[in-house]
Amino acid sequence: MTVVETSDGEVLEFIALGGGNEVGRSCHIIKYNGKTIMLDAGVHPAHTGLACLPFYDEFDMSTIDILLISHFHLDHAASLPYVMQHTAFKGRVFMTHPTKAIYRWLLSDFVRVSSITPRSSNAAPVLFTDSDLQQSFDKIEPIDYHSTIDVDGVRFTAYHAGHVLGAAMYFIELGGLKLLFTGDYSREEDRHLSAAEVPPESPDVLICESTFGTAVHLPRREKESQLMSIISSVIDRGGRVLLPTFALGRAQELLLVVNDYWKSHKSIQNTPVYFASNLAKKALTVYQTYTSMMNESIRKQFRDAQSNPFHFQYIKSLRSLDSFFDAGPCVMIASPGMLQSGTSRELLERWAPDNRNAVIITGYSVEGTLAKDIVSEPLQIPSMRDSSVLIPRRCMVEEISFAAHVDYKHNSEFIDLVKPKHIILVHGESSPMGRLKSALLSKYNSLKGTEQEIKIYNPRDCEILQIPFKAPKPAKVVGI
Amino acid sequence: MSSSVYYRFRSQLEPSRVTFDGTGITVFEMKREIILANELGDGTQFELKLYNADTNQELDDDTTIIPRSSSVIAVRGPPVRPKHGTAVRYVSGSMKFFQKYSSKQ
Ligand SMILES: [Zn+2]
Ligand SMILES: [Zn+2]
Repeated sequence: MTVVETSDGEVLEFIALGGGNEVGRSCHIIKYNGKTIMLDAGVHPAHTGLACLPFYDEFDMSTIDILLISHFHLDHAASLPYVMQHTAFKGRVFMTHPTKAIYRWLLSDFVRVSSITPRSSNAAPVLFTDSDLQQSFDKIEPIDYHSTIDVDGVRFTAYHAGHVLGAAMYFIELGGLKLLFTGDYSREEDRHLSAAEVPPESPDVLICESTFGTAVHLPRREKESQLMSIISSVIDRGGRVLLPTFALGRAQELLLVVNDYWKSHKSIQNTPVYFASNLAKKALTVYQTYTSMMNESIRKQFRDAQSNPFHFQYIKSLRSLDSFFDAGPCVMIASPGMLQSGTSRELLERWAPDNRNAVIITGYSVEGTLAKDIVSEPLQIPSMRDSSVLIPRRCMVEEISFAAHVDYKHNSEFIDLVKPKHIILVHGESSPMGRLKSALLSKYNSLKGTEQEIKIYNPRDCEILQIPFKAPKPAKVVGI
Repeated sequence: MSSSVYYRFRSQLEPSRVTFDGTGITVFEMKREIILANELGDGTQFELKLYNADTNQELDDDTTIIPRSSSVIAVRGPPVRPKHGTAVRYVSGSMKFFQKYSSKQ
């Protein structure tokens, strides 16, 4: 049992209920000076049923004062209705306005998709229902970037994190201690979002994503031209291109890239491009509403042309595969991104046996999903309906990441700018996270034993990390 | 007539139940039923512990009989060794196998 007594205000306690040495079910607890804050409430995309939840049984949920959601991705937000409706949690919940707007569409889709999955007769509880979602939704408090919220002495501010629309980093102050939680973040401006900001103050503790570890990305322009050259060569040989992607977020960036290429290449314009997502139309309105939170180039297009940059001239939106006439070369952007089930999986199974076709993985794939496995080019893939049925895979498999997580270069530059004293690594599989830790330790080796020493931690799920602080703090009140 | 034992995951508000024939169910069977009913997967990714709801004593012997109509608390925790959660035995292993295994310890 790892339920922890309230700390005396001089020791920071950090516990990852999820996202410790893994990517998925992001959920971290920080306790200091009698306050308890939860960061994110995600699900794990590779696990089913209750197993996709963070390890909520290992923590007394009734003690949480504040829950901050970094962004709308399922691995950061999808267990929120469960936390609010089915546990003893009674704290306040905050997220940015665009996150809240998109969260609603995504989660009702999540409910719909998870209730299709056949359930065993012993009445397995679905994680949450539509009415759980409705009932909890109004209690979520939307916040603006750059405005500081004070909840009984805990102050926090959201900063732009890049990554996806609405994504926030949280700068948190409690009892004289300053923390920065990056969430998922990107330091490279892309077609629609600005790079993550560097908050004006240095935190004592940085809770930092480590998805790509020590890997270094190609510049965005190079990735875009690689992607387009693969797509055009597949079309030239009469093949179909499948781009599995999560319906909202990075999909919009891909759509901008593809649409732009079609616009400037007349010869390819008779090849159809489809976006198979029943969220696409709803998403369009949200993306239109929040162009003001995107980068200058999008804002300019929106102002000057009076047009919605997310209305794509060369991309047909498909509500379902029933209305799709599969005849000849095409490009299909379809969800889900990790090929677990749904439209992208169905098309993969249909197209995998033909060697003219290609599947291009552009997102981050979590361990245990087909998107992760297919990159190693297996000769067969399991059928979604019956995993004992194997489908030959002759189609080409490529991976070009548009995942919008920092690489080593950007992550370590950001850390230098932020100047934390302690770094807690989260949101990374063990090996890349371990490599990142070693790289940072050797980078800061010369500071060891000095005042500027930087301590780095990579705790596993439910491991209790205690960091003592001598930082100035208000008078200690026992028993809060 | 079928009997029930009630269980609640520690973080959950609402209890669920497992039904069976007879006057009691072994800890092994109970864990297996909970894993299946909640689609917790193959058991490699977590540990599952049961506690007596009244005494908070852990029910750590798989052969212990939980009497019908009683209540237990279930706790799903991270695997002691990554990707090698011992809950796997409740999904794949047979009761006999486990008894042999535990008597060796
Ligand atoms: Zn994300
Ligand atoms: Zn994430």
